[in-house]
Amino acid sequence: MSAPSAPDAVIEVKGLTKHFGNVEAVRGLDFVVPRGRVTGFLGPNGAGKTTTLRMLLGLVAPNAGTATVLGRRYQDLDEPVRRVGAVLEATSFHPTRRARDHLRMLAVAAGIDERRVGEVLALVGLGDAAKRRVGGFSQGMRQRLELAGALLGQPDVLILDEPSNGLDPQGIAWLRQLLRYLASQGTTVLVSSHLLAEMAQTVDDVIIIAEGRLRAEGTIAELAGQGRSAMRARTPEPDRLVQVAQAAGFAPRRVAQDTVLVGGARPETLGPLLAQQRIVIYELTNEGTDLESIFLALTAPTPGSSPPVQATAPPFTPEEPR
Amino acid sequence: MIRLIRSELLKLRTTSSPWVLLIVTLLLTALGVITAFLIPNGNRVTFGAPTTIYRYRLLLGAGDTAVWMSAILGMLCVTGEYRHKVITTTLLVEPKRAYVLVAKSVASVLWGLILCASTFVMVAALGLPLLSAEGGSASILLHQAGAVVPGLFAAFAIIALFGVGFGTLVRNQVVGIVAVLGGSFILEPILDGLIPSVAKWLPSAAAGAVAGGLGTRADRAFLLSWWLGALVLAAWGIVPTVIGYFTTFTRDVT
Repeated sequence: MSAPSAPDAVIEVKGLTKHFGNVEAVRGLDFVVPRGRVTGFLGPNGAGKTTTLRMLLGLVAPNAGTATVLGRRYQDLDEPVRRVGAVLEATSFHPTRRARDHLRMLAVAAGIDERRVGEVLALVGLGDAAKRRVGGFSQGMRQRLELAGALLGQPDVLILDEPSNGLDPQGIAWLRQLLRYLASQGTTVLVSSHLLAEMAQTVDDVIIIAEGRLRAEGTIAELAGQGRSAMRARTPEPDRLVQVAQAAGFAPRRVAQDTVLVGGARPETLGPLLAQQRIVIYELTNEGTDLESIFLALTAPTPGSSPPVQATAPPFTPEEPR
Repeated sequence: MIRLIRSELLKLRTTSSPWVLLIVTLLLTALGVITAFLIPNGNRVTFGAPTTIYRYRLLLGAGDTAVWMSAILGMLCVTGEYRHKVITTTLLVEPKRAYVLVAKSVASVLWGLILCASTFVMVAALGLPLLSAEGGSASILLHQAGAVVPGLFAAFAIIALFGVGFGTLVRNQVVGIVAVLGGSFILEPILDGLIPSVAKWLPSAAAGAVAGGLGTRADRAFLLSWWLGALVLAAWGIVPTVIGYFTTFTRDVT
Protein backbone atom coordinates (compact mmCIF):
# COMPACT_ATOMS: atom_id res chain seq x y z
CA MET A 1 0.00 0.00 0.00
CA SER A 2 1.39 3.37 -1.00
CA ALA A 3 -0.30 6.09 1.03
CA PRO A 4 -0.38 5.86 4.83
CA SER A 5 -3.71 4.70 6.20
CA ALA A 6 -6.15 7.19 7.59
CA PRO A 7 -6.04 6.77 11.38
CA ASP A 8 -9.64 5.72 11.86
CA ALA A 9 -10.37 4.14 8.53
CA VAL A 10 -12.18 0.84 8.95
CA ILE A 11 -12.56 0.17 5.24
CA GLU A 12 -9.94 1.31 2.78
CA VAL A 13 -10.16 0.99 -0.97
CA LYS A 14 -7.19 2.05 -3.10
CA GLY A 15 -6.92 2.04 -6.85
CA LEU A 16 -9.44 -0.78 -6.99
CA THR A 17 -10.01 -1.99 -10.54
CA LYS A 18 -11.99 -4.86 -12.01
CA HIS A 19 -13.00 -5.73 -15.51
CA PHE A 20 -15.17 -8.60 -16.66
CA GLY A 21 -14.05 -9.27 -20.22
CA ASN A 22 -14.33 -5.94 -21.96
CA VAL A 23 -16.59 -4.42 -19.34
CA GLU A 24 -14.76 -2.19 -16.89
CA ALA A 25 -16.88 -2.57 -13.78
CA VAL A 26 -14.66 -0.66 -11.36
CA ARG A 27 -11.91 1.73 -12.43
CA GLY A 28 -9.30 2.96 -9.96
CA LEU A 29 -11.69 3.45 -7.07
CA ASP A 30 -10.39 5.09 -3.85
CA PHE A 31 -12.32 5.72 -0.67
CA VAL A 32 -12.24 5.20 3.08
CA VAL A 33 -15.03 4.47 5.53
CA PRO A 34 -14.44 5.92 9.00
CA ARG A 35 -15.13 4.07 12.23
CA GLY A 36 -18.51 4.22 13.90
CA ARG A 37 -20.37 5.96 11.10
CA VAL A 38 -23.05 4.92 8.66
CA THR A 39 -21.76 5.48 5.15
CA GLY A 40 -24.00 5.29 2.13
CA PHE A 41 -22.42 3.72 -0.94
CA LEU A 42 -24.50 5.18 -3.70
CA GLY A 43 -24.70 4.95 -7.44
CA PRO A 44 -27.10 4.00 -10.20
CA ASN A 45 -27.57 0.37 -11.19
CA GLY A 46 -24.43 -0.91 -12.89
CA ALA A 47 -22.19 1.66 -11.24
CA GLY A 48 -19.94 -1.04 -9.79
CA LYS A 49 -21.26 -1.05 -6.21
CA THR A 50 -21.83 -4.77 -5.93
CA THR A 51 -18.53 -5.63 -7.61
CA THR A 52 -16.70 -3.30 -5.21
CA LEU A 53 -18.36 -4.83 -2.15
CA ARG A 54 -17.64 -8.36 -3.41
CA MET A 55 -13.97 -7.46 -3.89
CA LEU A 56 -13.96 -6.03 -0.38
CA LEU A 57 -15.25 -9.39 0.87
CA GLY A 58 -12.81 -11.56 -1.06
CA LEU A 59 -15.45 -13.05 -3.35
CA VAL A 60 -14.17 -11.35 -6.49
CA ALA A 61 -10.46 -10.92 -7.19
CA PRO A 62 -9.52 -7.36 -8.24
CA ASN A 63 -7.40 -6.82 -11.34
CA ALA A 64 -5.56 -4.02 -9.57
CA GLY A 65 -5.62 -2.11 -6.31
CA THR A 66 -6.49 -3.19 -2.78
CA ALA A 67 -9.58 -3.34 -0.62
CA THR A 68 -9.10 -3.88 3.10
CA VAL A 69 -11.35 -4.17 6.12
CA LEU A 70 -9.87 -3.44 9.54
CA GLY A 71 -6.48 -3.12 7.88
CA ARG A 72 -6.43 -6.52 6.19
CA ARG A 73 -7.82 -8.27 3.17
CA TYR A 74 -11.06 -10.02 4.15
CA GLN A 75 -9.58 -13.45 3.42
CA ASP A 76 -6.67 -12.68 5.78
CA LEU A 77 -8.90 -11.81 8.74
CA ASP A 78 -9.03 -14.23 11.64
CA GLU A 79 -12.62 -15.18 12.39
CA PRO A 80 -14.02 -12.88 9.69
CA VAL A 81 -17.63 -13.45 10.76
CA ARG A 82 -16.86 -12.00 14.18
CA ARG A 83 -15.31 -8.90 12.64
CA VAL A 84 -17.40 -8.22 9.54
CA GLY A 85 -21.04 -8.99 8.80
CA ALA A 86 -22.26 -8.83 5.24
CA VAL A 87 -25.57 -8.91 3.41
CA LEU A 88 -25.08 -9.32 -0.32
CA GLU A 89 -27.39 -9.37 -3.29
CA ALA A 90 -27.66 -12.55 -5.32
CA THR A 91 -27.27 -14.59 -2.16
CA SER A 92 -29.88 -17.09 -1.26
CA PHE A 93 -30.88 -20.03 0.85
CA HIS A 94 -31.53 -23.68 0.32
CA PRO A 95 -35.33 -23.72 -0.07
CA THR A 96 -35.96 -26.82 2.04
CA ARG A 97 -33.72 -25.73 4.89
CA ARG A 98 -35.35 -24.16 7.94
CA ALA A 99 -34.41 -20.58 8.84
CA ARG A 100 -32.90 -21.69 12.14
CA ASP A 101 -30.81 -24.40 10.47
CA HIS A 102 -29.44 -21.89 7.96
CA LEU A 103 -28.11 -19.79 10.83
CA ARG A 104 -26.98 -22.85 12.77
CA MET A 105 -24.78 -23.97 9.91
CA LEU A 106 -23.15 -20.52 9.90
CA ALA A 107 -22.76 -20.51 13.66
CA VAL A 108 -21.20 -23.97 13.68
CA ALA A 109 -18.74 -23.03 10.93
CA ALA A 110 -17.77 -19.82 12.71
CA GLY A 111 -17.58 -21.39 16.16
CA ILE A 112 -20.38 -19.19 17.50
CA ASP A 113 -22.60 -20.42 20.33
CA GLU A 114 -25.83 -21.72 18.79
CA ARG A 115 -27.85 -19.79 21.40
CA ARG A 116 -26.94 -16.69 19.43
CA VAL A 117 -29.12 -18.03 16.57
CA GLY A 118 -32.29 -17.46 18.58
CA GLU A 119 -31.12 -14.00 19.58
CA VAL A 120 -30.50 -12.75 16.06
CA LEU A 121 -33.73 -14.29 14.78
CA ALA A 122 -35.61 -12.34 17.45
CA LEU A 123 -33.61 -9.21 16.67
CA VAL A 124 -34.68 -9.22 13.01
CA GLY A 125 -38.25 -10.14 13.86
CA LEU A 126 -38.18 -13.71 12.61
CA GLY A 127 -38.53 -15.40 15.98
CA ASP A 128 -41.82 -17.01 15.00
CA ALA A 129 -40.52 -18.19 11.63
CA ALA A 130 -37.42 -19.95 13.01
CA LYS A 131 -38.65 -23.45 12.17
CA ARG A 132 -40.15 -22.59 8.81
CA ARG A 133 -38.49 -23.62 5.55
CA VAL A 134 -36.90 -20.69 3.76
CA GLY A 135 -38.55 -21.69 0.46
CA GLY A 136 -41.80 -20.19 1.73
CA PHE A 137 -40.28 -16.89 2.82
CA SER A 138 -41.15 -13.55 1.24
CA GLN A 139 -38.39 -11.38 -0.18
CA GLY A 140 -38.56 -9.20 2.90
CA MET A 141 -38.21 -12.18 5.24
CA ARG A 142 -35.22 -13.46 3.26
CA GLN A 143 -33.64 -10.04 3.57
CA ARG A 144 -34.18 -10.16 7.34
CA LEU A 145 -32.74 -13.66 7.56
CA GLU A 146 -29.73 -12.49 5.56
CA LEU A 147 -29.30 -9.65 8.05
CA ALA A 148 -29.63 -12.07 10.96
CA GLY A 149 -26.72 -14.03 9.46
CA ALA A 150 -24.64 -10.87 9.21
CA LEU A 151 -25.29 -10.00 12.87
CA LEU A 152 -24.56 -13.52 14.13
CA GLY A 153 -20.94 -12.83 15.03
CA GLN A 154 -21.64 -9.41 16.60
CA PRO A 155 -19.32 -7.80 14.06
CA ASP A 156 -17.63 -4.40 14.31
CA VAL A 157 -18.31 -3.73 10.66
CA LEU A 158 -21.47 -4.26 8.64
CA ILE A 159 -21.43 -4.27 4.84
CA LEU A 160 -24.87 -4.26 3.27
CA ASP A 161 -25.65 -4.39 -0.44
CA GLU A 162 -29.07 -2.90 -1.21
CA PRO A 163 -30.54 -4.24 2.05
CA SER A 164 -33.86 -2.45 1.60
CA ASN A 165 -34.67 -4.35 -1.60
CA GLY A 166 -37.88 -6.23 -1.03
CA LEU A 167 -38.65 -4.55 2.28
CA ASP A 168 -41.98 -2.81 2.68
CA PRO A 169 -42.08 0.78 4.01
CA GLN A 170 -42.32 -0.48 7.60
CA GLY A 171 -39.39 -2.77 6.93
CA ILE A 172 -37.34 0.10 5.55
CA ALA A 173 -38.13 2.24 8.59
CA TRP A 174 -37.20 -0.67 10.84
CA LEU A 175 -33.92 -1.18 8.97
CA ARG A 176 -33.11 2.51 9.29
CA GLN A 177 -33.64 2.37 13.06
CA LEU A 178 -31.58 -0.79 13.36
CA LEU A 179 -28.65 0.72 11.45
CA ARG A 180 -28.79 3.90 13.52
CA TYR A 181 -28.90 1.82 16.70
CA LEU A 182 -25.93 -0.32 15.62
CA ALA A 183 -23.95 2.80 14.71
CA SER A 184 -24.70 4.27 18.13
CA GLN A 185 -23.18 1.09 19.58
CA GLY A 186 -19.99 1.73 17.63
CA THR A 187 -20.63 -0.45 14.60
CA THR A 188 -19.28 0.86 11.32
CA VAL A 189 -21.82 0.46 8.54
CA LEU A 190 -21.32 0.61 4.79
CA VAL A 191 -24.65 0.35 3.01
CA SER A 192 -25.20 0.52 -0.73
CA SER A 193 -28.26 1.82 -2.51
CA HIS A 194 -29.30 3.24 -5.84
CA LEU A 195 -31.66 5.65 -4.11
CA LEU A 196 -30.14 8.63 -2.35
CA ALA A 197 -33.47 9.89 -1.04
CA GLU A 198 -34.05 6.60 0.77
CA MET A 199 -30.62 6.76 2.39
CA ALA A 200 -30.55 10.45 3.24
CA GLN A 201 -32.15 9.93 6.65
CA THR A 202 -30.03 6.90 7.50
CA VAL A 203 -26.46 7.76 6.60
CA ASP A 204 -23.88 10.20 7.96
CA ASP A 205 -21.56 10.08 4.97
CA VAL A 206 -21.95 9.28 1.33
CA ILE A 207 -19.68 7.82 -1.30
CA ILE A 208 -21.15 8.27 -4.75
CA ILE A 209 -19.89 6.26 -7.69
CA ALA A 210 -20.92 5.95 -11.29
CA GLU A 211 -19.39 4.05 -14.18
CA GLY A 212 -16.97 2.41 -11.76
CA ARG A 213 -15.47 5.72 -10.66
CA LEU A 214 -15.73 7.87 -7.57
CA ARG A 215 -17.95 10.87 -8.23
CA ALA A 216 -18.32 12.41 -4.77
CA GLU A 217 -17.39 11.72 -1.17
CA GLY A 218 -18.42 13.61 1.96
CA THR A 219 -21.08 14.07 4.60
CA ILE A 220 -24.76 14.33 3.75
CA ALA A 221 -24.65 17.95 4.94
CA GLU A 222 -21.82 18.76 2.56
CA LEU A 223 -23.74 17.18 -0.27
CA ALA A 224 -26.94 19.01 0.61
CA GLY A 225 -24.95 22.24 0.95
CA GLN A 226 -24.12 22.28 -2.70
CA GLY A 227 -27.68 21.63 -3.69
CA ARG A 228 -30.26 24.26 -4.32
CA SER A 229 -33.72 24.71 -3.01
CA ALA A 230 -36.73 24.36 -5.27
CA MET A 231 -40.43 25.28 -5.25
CA ARG A 232 -43.22 23.54 -7.11
CA ALA A 233 -46.02 25.74 -8.41
CA ARG A 234 -49.34 24.74 -10.01
CA THR A 235 -50.77 27.57 -12.03
CA PRO A 236 -53.16 28.27 -14.93
CA GLU A 237 -50.51 30.51 -16.50
CA PRO A 238 -47.33 28.41 -16.51
CA ASP A 239 -45.77 30.24 -19.46
CA ARG A 240 -45.92 33.59 -17.71
CA LEU A 241 -44.60 32.07 -14.50
CA VAL A 242 -41.60 30.63 -16.33
CA GLN A 243 -40.96 34.01 -17.94
CA VAL A 244 -41.19 35.91 -14.66
CA ALA A 245 -39.11 33.43 -12.72
CA GLN A 246 -36.44 33.43 -15.38
CA ALA A 247 -36.32 37.21 -15.35
CA ALA A 248 -35.87 37.10 -11.57
CA GLY A 249 -32.88 34.78 -11.97
CA PHE A 250 -34.46 31.47 -10.94
CA ALA A 251 -34.24 28.25 -12.94
CA PRO A 252 -37.85 27.34 -13.78
CA ARG A 253 -38.74 24.13 -15.56
CA ARG A 254 -42.17 23.01 -16.81
CA VAL A 255 -42.70 19.57 -15.30
CA ALA A 256 -46.39 19.19 -16.25
CA GLN A 257 -49.11 20.96 -18.19
CA ASP A 258 -49.89 23.22 -15.25
CA THR A 259 -46.86 22.73 -13.02
CA VAL A 260 -43.53 24.50 -12.90
CA LEU A 261 -40.55 23.51 -10.76
CA VAL A 262 -38.66 26.67 -9.85
CA GLY A 263 -35.03 25.86 -9.09
CA GLY A 264 -33.19 28.15 -6.70
CA ALA A 265 -36.42 29.51 -5.24
CA ARG A 266 -37.42 29.61 -1.59
CA PRO A 267 -40.88 30.48 -0.20
CA GLU A 268 -39.57 33.86 0.99
CA THR A 269 -38.24 34.81 -2.44
CA LEU A 270 -40.78 33.26 -4.80
CA GLY A 271 -43.98 34.15 -2.87
CA PRO A 272 -43.56 37.95 -2.99
CA LEU A 273 -42.52 37.79 -6.64
CA LEU A 274 -45.67 35.91 -7.65
CA ALA A 275 -47.87 38.32 -5.64
CA GLN A 276 -46.16 41.29 -7.16
CA GLN A 277 -46.64 39.90 -10.69
CA ARG A 278 -50.25 38.89 -9.85
CA ILE A 279 -49.81 35.33 -11.09
CA VAL A 280 -52.64 33.01 -10.11
CA ILE A 281 -51.41 30.06 -8.06
CA TYR A 282 -53.45 26.95 -7.26
CA GLU A 283 -50.75 25.29 -5.26
CA LEU A 284 -47.27 26.19 -4.07
CA THR A 285 -45.01 23.58 -2.42
CA ASN A 286 -41.55 23.88 -0.95
CA GLU A 287 -39.50 21.02 -2.35
CA GLY A 288 -36.63 21.76 0.03
CA THR A 289 -33.13 20.70 -0.92
CA ASP A 290 -33.28 18.77 -4.11
CA LEU A 291 -30.98 15.88 -3.10
CA GLU A 292 -32.21 13.64 -5.87
CA SER A 293 -31.23 16.13 -8.56
CA ILE A 294 -27.77 16.45 -7.03
CA PHE A 295 -27.48 12.70 -7.14
CA LEU A 296 -28.65 12.56 -10.73
CA ALA A 297 -26.21 15.28 -11.76
CA LEU A 298 -23.34 13.54 -9.98
CA THR A 299 -24.04 10.18 -11.50
CA ALA A 300 -24.92 11.35 -15.00
CA PRO A 301 -23.07 9.37 -17.67
CA THR A 302 -19.98 11.15 -18.90
CA PRO A 303 -18.56 10.90 -22.38
CA GLY A 304 -14.93 9.80 -21.98
CA SER A 305 -13.22 9.91 -18.63
CA SER A 306 -13.47 12.49 -15.90
CA PRO A 307 -11.64 12.78 -12.59
CA PRO A 308 -13.60 12.15 -9.42
CA VAL A 309 -14.85 15.19 -7.60
CA GLN A 310 -15.11 15.95 -3.92
CA ALA A 311 -18.46 16.86 -2.48
CA THR A 312 -16.82 19.78 -0.72
CA ALA A 313 -15.96 21.29 -4.09
CA PRO A 314 -19.18 21.62 -6.07
CA PRO A 315 -18.86 19.35 -9.08
CA PHE A 316 -21.46 21.11 -11.14
CA THR A 317 -22.63 24.69 -11.41
CA PRO A 318 -26.35 24.90 -10.95
CA GLU A 319 -28.08 27.88 -12.45
CA GLU A 320 -28.03 29.74 -9.15
CA PRO A 321 -30.00 32.97 -8.84
CA ARG A 322 -27.83 36.04 -9.13
CA MET B 1 -11.38 -27.25 10.05
CA ILE B 2 -13.41 -29.44 12.41
CA ARG B 3 -15.96 -26.61 12.62
CA LEU B 4 -16.21 -26.38 8.86
CA ILE B 5 -16.68 -30.14 8.52
CA ARG B 6 -19.38 -30.08 11.20
CA SER B 7 -21.06 -27.24 9.35
CA GLU B 8 -20.97 -29.16 6.07
CA LEU B 9 -22.45 -32.21 7.78
CA LEU B 10 -25.18 -30.02 9.25
CA LYS B 11 -25.86 -28.54 5.82
CA LEU B 12 -26.29 -32.01 4.32
CA ARG B 13 -28.43 -33.22 7.19
CA THR B 14 -30.79 -30.24 6.98
CA THR B 15 -31.67 -30.74 3.32
CA SER B 16 -33.65 -33.60 1.89
CA SER B 17 -31.29 -34.88 -0.82
CA PRO B 18 -28.98 -37.02 1.37
CA TRP B 19 -32.02 -38.77 2.83
CA VAL B 20 -33.45 -39.37 -0.63
CA LEU B 21 -30.11 -40.80 -1.71
CA LEU B 22 -30.07 -43.03 1.37
CA ILE B 23 -33.48 -44.42 0.44
CA VAL B 24 -32.43 -44.99 -3.18
CA THR B 25 -29.29 -46.74 -1.94
CA LEU B 26 -31.40 -49.09 0.20
CA LEU B 27 -33.72 -49.82 -2.72
CA LEU B 28 -30.86 -50.51 -5.12
CA THR B 29 -29.29 -52.78 -2.50
CA ALA B 30 -32.57 -54.68 -2.07
CA LEU B 31 -32.61 -55.16 -5.84
CA GLY B 32 -29.00 -56.34 -5.69
CA VAL B 33 -29.81 -58.84 -2.92
CA ILE B 34 -32.61 -60.37 -4.96
CA THR B 35 -30.40 -60.48 -8.07
CA ALA B 36 -27.79 -62.44 -6.12
CA PHE B 37 -30.33 -65.21 -5.59
CA LEU B 38 -31.23 -65.46 -9.26
CA ILE B 39 -29.14 -68.27 -10.63
CA PRO B 40 -28.94 -69.15 -14.32
CA ASN B 41 -30.02 -72.74 -14.72
CA GLY B 42 -29.76 -73.87 -18.31
CA ASN B 43 -31.88 -71.38 -20.21
CA ARG B 44 -34.01 -70.61 -17.16
CA VAL B 45 -33.34 -68.54 -14.12
CA THR B 46 -34.08 -70.07 -10.76
CA PHE B 47 -34.35 -68.50 -7.35
CA GLY B 48 -32.08 -70.16 -4.85
CA ALA B 49 -29.14 -69.93 -2.52
CA PRO B 50 -25.88 -68.75 -4.14
CA THR B 51 -23.91 -71.60 -5.58
CA THR B 52 -20.52 -70.01 -6.09
CA ILE B 53 -18.14 -67.87 -4.06
CA TYR B 54 -18.70 -65.14 -6.60
CA ARG B 55 -22.44 -65.18 -5.96
CA TYR B 56 -21.83 -65.02 -2.22
CA ARG B 57 -19.69 -61.98 -2.81
CA LEU B 58 -22.40 -60.57 -5.05
CA LEU B 59 -24.89 -60.94 -2.21
CA LEU B 60 -22.54 -59.29 0.26
CA GLY B 61 -21.81 -56.41 -2.09
CA ALA B 62 -25.42 -56.10 -3.23
CA GLY B 63 -25.16 -52.34 -2.85
CA ASP B 64 -22.36 -51.90 -5.34
CA THR B 65 -24.48 -50.20 -8.00
CA ALA B 66 -25.55 -47.71 -5.35
CA VAL B 67 -21.98 -46.48 -5.20
CA TRP B 68 -23.10 -43.79 -7.63
CA MET B 69 -25.50 -42.39 -5.07
CA SER B 70 -22.34 -41.54 -3.20
CA ALA B 71 -21.08 -39.60 -6.23
CA ILE B 72 -24.34 -37.72 -6.52
CA LEU B 73 -24.16 -36.84 -2.85
CA GLY B 74 -20.67 -35.43 -3.19
CA MET B 75 -21.76 -33.53 -6.25
CA LEU B 76 -24.82 -32.03 -4.56
CA CYS B 77 -22.61 -30.93 -1.70
CA VAL B 78 -20.90 -28.55 -4.16
CA THR B 79 -23.46 -27.82 -6.89
CA GLY B 80 -26.29 -27.26 -4.41
CA GLU B 81 -24.40 -24.24 -3.10
CA TYR B 82 -24.08 -22.76 -6.56
CA ARG B 83 -27.65 -23.56 -7.48
CA HIS B 84 -29.13 -21.98 -4.37
CA LYS B 85 -26.45 -19.29 -4.13
CA VAL B 86 -25.42 -20.38 -0.65
CA ILE B 87 -21.78 -20.40 -1.79
CA THR B 88 -21.51 -16.66 -1.10
CA THR B 89 -22.51 -17.17 2.52
CA THR B 90 -20.19 -20.15 2.85
CA LEU B 91 -17.23 -18.15 1.53
CA LEU B 92 -18.01 -15.23 3.82
CA VAL B 93 -17.71 -17.54 6.80
CA GLU B 94 -14.55 -19.19 5.45
CA PRO B 95 -12.90 -17.12 2.72
CA LYS B 96 -10.08 -19.65 2.30
CA ARG B 97 -11.58 -21.73 -0.46
CA ALA B 98 -9.21 -24.67 -0.17
CA TYR B 99 -10.48 -25.19 3.39
CA VAL B 100 -14.07 -25.12 2.18
CA LEU B 101 -13.35 -27.72 -0.49
CA VAL B 102 -11.53 -29.98 1.96
CA ALA B 103 -14.42 -29.71 4.43
CA LYS B 104 -16.89 -30.59 1.68
CA SER B 105 -14.74 -33.54 0.64
CA VAL B 106 -14.51 -34.90 4.18
CA ALA B 107 -18.23 -34.45 4.82
CA SER B 108 -19.10 -36.17 1.54
CA VAL B 109 -16.73 -39.06 2.24
CA LEU B 110 -18.33 -39.53 5.66
CA TRP B 111 -21.77 -39.61 4.05
CA GLY B 112 -20.43 -42.04 1.47
CA LEU B 113 -19.43 -44.33 4.34
CA ILE B 114 -22.90 -43.97 5.86
CA LEU B 115 -24.50 -44.94 2.53
CA CYS B 116 -22.19 -47.94 2.29
CA ALA B 117 -23.02 -49.03 5.83
CA SER B 118 -26.70 -48.84 4.94
CA THR B 119 -26.16 -51.36 2.13
CA PHE B 120 -24.83 -53.89 4.63
CA VAL B 121 -27.81 -53.24 6.87
CA MET B 122 -30.04 -54.12 3.94
CA VAL B 123 -27.98 -57.22 3.15
CA ALA B 124 -28.37 -58.37 6.74
CA ALA B 125 -32.06 -57.50 6.93
CA LEU B 126 -33.14 -58.96 3.60
CA GLY B 127 -30.24 -61.18 2.46
CA LEU B 128 -29.66 -63.24 5.59
CA PRO B 129 -33.31 -64.39 6.03
CA LEU B 130 -33.51 -65.23 2.32
CA LEU B 131 -30.22 -67.10 2.55
CA SER B 132 -31.32 -69.26 5.42
CA ALA B 133 -34.72 -69.84 3.82
CA GLU B 134 -33.04 -71.04 0.63
CA GLY B 135 -30.62 -73.22 2.54
CA GLY B 136 -27.50 -71.18 1.88
CA SER B 137 -24.55 -70.88 4.21
CA ALA B 138 -24.25 -67.79 6.37
CA SER B 139 -20.73 -68.78 7.35
CA ILE B 140 -19.54 -68.76 3.72
CA LEU B 141 -21.09 -65.32 3.42
CA LEU B 142 -19.27 -64.05 6.51
CA HIS B 143 -16.08 -65.63 5.27
CA GLN B 144 -16.17 -63.43 2.19
CA ALA B 145 -16.66 -60.24 4.22
CA GLY B 146 -12.94 -59.51 4.31
CA ALA B 147 -12.73 -59.51 0.53
CA VAL B 148 -15.79 -57.33 -0.08
CA VAL B 149 -16.57 -55.06 2.88
CA PRO B 150 -13.43 -52.89 3.17
CA GLY B 151 -13.26 -52.49 -0.60
CA LEU B 152 -16.88 -51.43 -0.85
CA PHE B 153 -16.43 -48.87 1.93
CA ALA B 154 -13.36 -47.55 0.11
CA ALA B 155 -15.31 -47.39 -3.16
CA PHE B 156 -18.21 -45.44 -1.62
CA ALA B 157 -15.79 -43.03 0.05
CA ILE B 158 -13.66 -42.38 -3.03
CA ILE B 159 -16.61 -42.13 -5.40
CA ALA B 160 -18.05 -39.47 -3.06
CA LEU B 161 -14.79 -37.59 -3.51
CA PHE B 162 -15.13 -38.05 -7.27
CA GLY B 163 -18.58 -36.47 -6.96
CA VAL B 164 -17.17 -33.45 -5.14
CA GLY B 165 -14.53 -32.96 -7.82
CA PHE B 166 -16.97 -33.49 -10.65
CA GLY B 167 -19.43 -31.08 -9.04
CA THR B 168 -16.69 -28.48 -8.71
CA LEU B 169 -15.99 -28.81 -12.42
CA VAL B 170 -19.55 -28.70 -13.75
CA ARG B 171 -21.15 -26.50 -11.04
CA ASN B 172 -24.51 -27.03 -12.73
CA GLN B 173 -26.56 -29.48 -10.70
CA VAL B 174 -28.80 -30.85 -13.45
CA VAL B 175 -25.94 -31.32 -15.90
CA GLY B 176 -23.95 -33.01 -13.14
CA ILE B 177 -26.65 -35.51 -12.19
CA VAL B 178 -27.40 -36.37 -15.81
CA ALA B 179 -23.70 -36.82 -16.55
CA VAL B 180 -23.07 -39.05 -13.52
CA LEU B 181 -26.12 -41.24 -14.08
CA GLY B 182 -25.55 -41.38 -17.85
CA GLY B 183 -21.90 -42.20 -17.42
CA SER B 184 -22.35 -44.87 -14.79
CA PHE B 185 -25.58 -46.59 -15.86
CA ILE B 186 -25.37 -46.19 -19.64
CA LEU B 187 -21.91 -45.37 -20.93
CA GLU B 188 -19.93 -47.67 -18.65
CA PRO B 189 -22.08 -50.79 -19.27
CA ILE B 190 -21.93 -50.16 -23.02
CA LEU B 191 -18.16 -49.77 -22.98
CA ASP B 192 -17.99 -52.77 -20.70
CA GLY B 193 -19.71 -54.88 -23.30
CA LEU B 194 -17.89 -53.50 -26.33
CA ILE B 195 -14.36 -52.65 -25.21
CA PRO B 196 -13.73 -54.12 -21.76
CA SER B 197 -10.04 -53.27 -22.05
CA VAL B 198 -11.04 -49.61 -21.78
CA ALA B 199 -13.97 -50.06 -19.43
CA LYS B 200 -11.79 -51.66 -16.76
CA TRP B 201 -10.15 -48.27 -16.13
CA LEU B 202 -13.48 -46.58 -15.44
CA PRO B 203 -14.67 -45.92 -11.86
CA SER B 204 -17.35 -48.63 -11.63
CA ALA B 205 -14.98 -51.37 -12.79
CA ALA B 206 -12.21 -50.04 -10.55
CA ALA B 207 -14.65 -50.05 -7.63
CA GLY B 208 -15.62 -53.63 -8.49
CA ALA B 209 -11.96 -54.64 -8.56
CA VAL B 210 -11.39 -53.19 -5.10
CA ALA B 211 -14.53 -54.78 -3.65
CA GLY B 212 -13.62 -58.42 -4.20
CA GLY B 213 -14.17 -58.61 -7.97
CA LEU B 214 -17.77 -57.52 -7.87
CA GLY B 215 -19.79 -56.23 -10.72
CA THR B 216 -21.89 -57.66 -13.48
CA ARG B 217 -19.08 -57.27 -15.95
CA ALA B 218 -19.39 -59.48 -19.02
CA ASP B 219 -15.92 -60.77 -18.50
CA ARG B 220 -14.64 -60.36 -14.96
CA ALA B 221 -11.21 -61.46 -16.09
CA PHE B 222 -10.81 -57.98 -17.41
CA LEU B 223 -11.07 -56.40 -13.96
CA LEU B 224 -7.92 -54.82 -12.61
CA SER B 225 -6.13 -56.39 -9.69
CA TRP B 226 -7.37 -54.96 -6.41
CA TRP B 227 -4.35 -52.74 -5.75
CA LEU B 228 -4.28 -51.32 -9.27
CA GLY B 229 -8.03 -50.83 -8.99
CA ALA B 230 -7.45 -48.95 -5.73
CA LEU B 231 -4.91 -46.65 -7.40
CA VAL B 232 -7.18 -46.03 -10.38
CA LEU B 233 -10.13 -45.35 -8.10
CA ALA B 234 -8.11 -42.95 -5.97
CA ALA B 235 -7.08 -41.09 -9.11
CA TRP B 236 -10.75 -40.83 -10.16
CA GLY B 237 -11.47 -39.30 -6.76
CA ILE B 238 -8.57 -36.93 -6.34
CA VAL B 239 -7.78 -35.66 -9.84
CA PRO B 240 -11.16 -33.99 -10.59
CA THR B 241 -11.18 -32.35 -7.16
CA VAL B 242 -7.72 -30.89 -7.65
CA ILE B 243 -8.48 -29.73 -11.21
CA GLY B 244 -11.80 -28.33 -10.04
CA TYR B 245 -10.15 -26.40 -7.24
CA PHE B 246 -7.63 -24.74 -9.52
CA THR B 247 -9.97 -24.07 -12.44
CA THR B 248 -13.46 -23.28 -11.20
CA PHE B 249 -13.65 -23.24 -7.43
CA THR B 250 -11.33 -20.26 -7.09
CA ARG B 251 -13.21 -18.19 -9.67
CA ASP B 252 -15.02 -14.97 -8.85
CA VAL B 253 -18.33 -15.50 -7.11
CA THR B 254 -20.65 -12.87 -8.51
